[in-house]
Amino acid sequence: MSEKIQFRIRRQDTPYSPAYWQTFQVPFREGLNVVSALMMIRQNPLTTDGMKVDPVAWEFNCMEEVCGACTMLINHRPMPACSTLVDTLQQPITLEPLSKFPVIRDLMVDRSRMFADLKRVRAWIEIDGAWDIHQGAPRISPEHWRDNYLYSRCMSCGSCLEACPQYGQMLPFVGAAALAAVRLMNNHPTGKYHRKQRLHAIMVEGGLSDCGNAQNCVQVCPKEIPLTTAIGELGRETTVQMLKDLFGSAD
Amino acid sequence: MKASIHDTHFVFRRLHSLLGLLPVGGFLIFHLWENSQSRFGQTHYNDQVVGWLQQLNYLTLLEIFLIALPLLFHALYGLVILYNGKSNLSVYPWQGNLRYTLQRFSGIAVLLFLLLHVGWTRIWAIWEPAIKADLFAHMQGLLIQPSVFLLYLTGLLVSVFHLTNGLWSMAISWGVTTSPRAQSICLGICAFLAVLLSAMGVHGMLGFLP
Ligand code: HEM
Ligand code: SF4
Ligand code: FES
Repeated sequence: MSEKIQFRIRRQDTPYSPAYWQTFQVPFREGLNVVSALMMIRQNPLTTDGMKVDPVAWEFNCMEEVCGACTMLINHRPMPACSTLVDTLQQPITLEPLSKFPVIRDLMVDRSRMFADLKRVRAWIEIDGAWDIHQGAPRISPEHWRDNYLYSRCMSCGSCLEACPQYGQMLPFVGAAALAAVRLMNNHPTGKYHRKQRLHAIMVEGGLSDCGNAQNCVQVCPKEIPLTTAIGELGRETTVQMLKDLFGSAD
Repeated sequence: MKASIHDTHFVFRRLHSLLGLLPVGGFLIFHLWENSQSRFGQTHYNDQVVGWLQQLNYLTLLEIFLIALPLLFHALYGLVILYNGKSNLSVYPWQGNLRYTLQRFSGIAVLLFLLLHVGWTRIWAIWEPAIKADLFAHMQGLLIQPSVFLLYLTGLLVSVFHLTNGLWSMAISWGVTTSPRAQSICLGICAFLAVLLSAMGVHGMLGFLP
């Protein structure tokens, strides 16, 4: 058995140097995923031309599709490398860094903008303010819990942003992940105290109204988060909030 | 913090969206219905349809404030929105993405078509009173040329697509449809509306032919 898997990998030595391509081969084995293939390349970084090169840099952590770190373009689509099996892919397998984030090196990108945008939309829950907000364990219905749980699975992998035609390094849109985080936090029994502030944070340039409804996000999200549902729900909430702001309301 | 109604960006986006339907989309539907009556013949069309419109009081004001200005805002701001996205259809060839891309291209096509269409009818008629007097004959003279007919057909279909797909996307933006099921039912309704409006438009165009 000497079946070989071919990888074409886009390499880049520094954030500022030009990119170039190299081809590698690894022996196939049952259940091989992209991260394990990259580990084999790292052990023996020999291109198909027989050139000994620097090992390919990439990120990974959990190896069970919950951290998002290993997300890269696999055959031009964003996917978690740890849970993507090699035998589901067409060869040669092309690996590229996500294109919507600055490249650090090879397949490693800098996703800090995602975290900045989560802060921008107040995607956190304040359990303390000038007074104590948290009054005992808040109770919610199982249905409510189930709906919220869907959104809590986001691992900030950036796939939804990669596939979004409205998201880009030079564009202000925060993208589906941050919007879905607003949906999640606004429906949390403690988080809902700051519902209005979060809605206001997405009723600005780069916020909800920059969505163009191409709906690519929901197709590529590896966690199958109902992103377009969140966007529709936020559409309704911002419409109501806008009317409240316009005509006045108690809260 | 500037947000919501104090944020011009959000207000402009919502205004753009609203104006696309009311009054601009509403006018498109009215316009297609109006011209679908071409089949009742030259005299009826000139006297009853166009004649009725032209005798309306404050017609110029209505044209400016209900059609020209909202359309101008929607079109110009539409170009701004166009600049804020980059279609990636070749990598993600999915129907939602296709409609996103077509929404943008159809916007440009509608703009170009409208410049020509308004120029050929409303603007030209300012210098040429004969056009206003017998709009039916003028339209017949235009549409009888196969190339112009084809151009009008394209303009019609592109405008109808832009309106009906815009309606679908509007329903999400304003929060009318949230679940995938609601959005897909809405898409069906919008597609039906597209067929209906296209049929009405083609019917109107054919009515001008001898
Ligand atoms: C017949 C005339 C037109 C009608 C009836 C019309 C109608 C609409 C409607 C109903 C929408 C949906 C708004 C939303 O998604 O919230 C829309 C969106 C749009 N329109 Fe128009 N429109 C017209 C002309 C134009 C023109 C001339 C342009 C300029 C290029 C344009 C550019 C756009 C763009 C870019 C969008 C997408 C907005 C977004 O997704 O955020 N439209 N239009
Ligand atoms: S919403 Fe899905 S695709 Fe987007 S960052 Fe979260 S897990 Fe990734
Ligand atoms: S290593 Fe954590 S998601 Fe792949």
